[in-house]
Amino acid sequence: MKHHYIDRYSDLDSPLHRLDPRVKILLAFFGILIMVSEPPGRLPPFAFYGGMLLVLLVASRLPPVFLLKRFLILSPFILMASVFYPVSLYLTKETQAIAFQREALEVALSIFLKAALSLLLLIWMISVERFHVLLMGLRKLKMPKLVGTISILMYSYLFVFWDEALKTTRARESRTPGKLTRAKLKTYSNQMAMILLHSWERSKTLHHAMLARGFHGEFYSLQKQGLKKRDVVFLVVFLLIFLNVRLFSGSLLNVAISLYHFTISLFTITIPQFDLTTPLLTL
Amino acid sequence: MHISDGIIDTGLSAAAFAASVGLVYASGRKVPQDEIPKMGITGAALFVLSLIHVPFAGTSIHPGLYGMAGILLGKRSFPVIFTVLLFQAMILQHGGLLSVGINSLNLGAGAFCAWLIWRQRGLPEYFRAALAGFIGIVIPVLLMALAFHLSGYGRGILYLFSVYIFAALAEGVITLFVVKFFRKTKSDILA
Repeated sequence: MKHHYIDRYSDLDSPLHRLDPRVKILLAFFGILIMVSEPPGRLPPFAFYGGMLLVLLVASRLPPVFLLKRFLILSPFILMASVFYPVSLYLTKETQAIAFQREALEVALSIFLKAALSLLLLIWMISVERFHVLLMGLRKLKMPKLVGTISILMYSYLFVFWDEALKTTRARESRTPGKLTRAKLKTYSNQMAMILLHSWERSKTLHHAMLARGFHGEFYSLQKQGLKKRDVVFLVVFLLIFLNVRLFSGSLLNVAISLYHFTISLFTITIPQFDLTTPLLTL
Repeated sequence: MHISDGIIDTGLSAAAFAASVGLVYASGRKVPQDEIPKMGITGAALFVLSLIHVPFAGTSIHPGLYGMAGILLGKRSFPVIFTVLLFQAMILQHGGLLSVGINSLNLGAGAFCAWLIWRQRGLPEYFRAALAGFIGIVIPVLLMALAFHLSGYGRGILYLFSVYIFAALAEGVITLFVVKFFRKTKSDILA
């Protein structure tokens, strides 16, 4: 099967690819949290967040065409959700004054920017690490054990069922050439029921196989993950810059200091011997 | 059906995330070992099935099968729905990382209500199945509208979300046919 949309560029080599998976997850999660916590209608900070994300994406050497395609596929949904804001207020005559209408449009634009930049950060996270390594990272970040186990099982069988979905789709199409004119929902439902049934039966065999291998509710990975000093420094500096923009945006001096810190942290992860403490202490 | 990050109020989103993680911990306690593979594999099947386009009323819909998840997994459906949504957010970028919480609470509530309906043995089985499928969409849509309303979207959001009624009807019919198929081929699944 083709599943090129999952961690397609995770094998590229860049300083950001070499970060610990936990750092990537925390950076994406808290980065999104800080961006979306901007008050509705406040637009200037998004120029800075956008710039930071652009640097992150360029430094990761991700192909711009891939990012653009992925973004364009998903942007209509977030555009629709942002348009809902003024439309829903208009429908119930909650926007009467012109000034309020303008405010509603500004809020809609800020919603779009929040969603769009969060989407880009999520695409970055999934593109710079292999998916199963991210799952292991989540587990190390104390994700509930049950969700960890379900995730590993899901990831292992996702492709098996996707193949099965393709196979049953081909079988359905070969038996009903052209467009289905009758009992569409029934035909599709039977196909789904068959896939569910196969999954149910397979789970029993899998359980027996797992028990035979001594499974006791935890999966282990041979890949060793260890947080390095530079990983932590990069994460802390990145989030501090975001927090700085969130709390004190508008000050040119703050933005300049933030950019300086970001450049230093990029140096730190690119050149392992780079001593971070001296330049940081100067500010 | 998936709320992306940044669309609704951050406080609400963060609180829902914390609540959903708490619920996952709570519902994950005392899960028998033989249930875990079933939960993982059914999750994989639900993820894949949600990618199948079903032609309906001149357009196409993606079945969620949240009602079906409630019928098959009962009160254990919440951690599975949480994981499926986490996968959808990470792999397909449907929904968001922070909004996994609000999405799983909405859709998990749908699955839970579907399970409650399915347990009403006094009602005819196929009626219960269709109603469970229908409710599995209607409840999440109502909760989603509530989340949007609490985030300042106004009451008009209810009008906009009323289009989901067609998706809920289709989901009810799909669930009915799936249950019918199981009853014919392997009825012990529906125990």
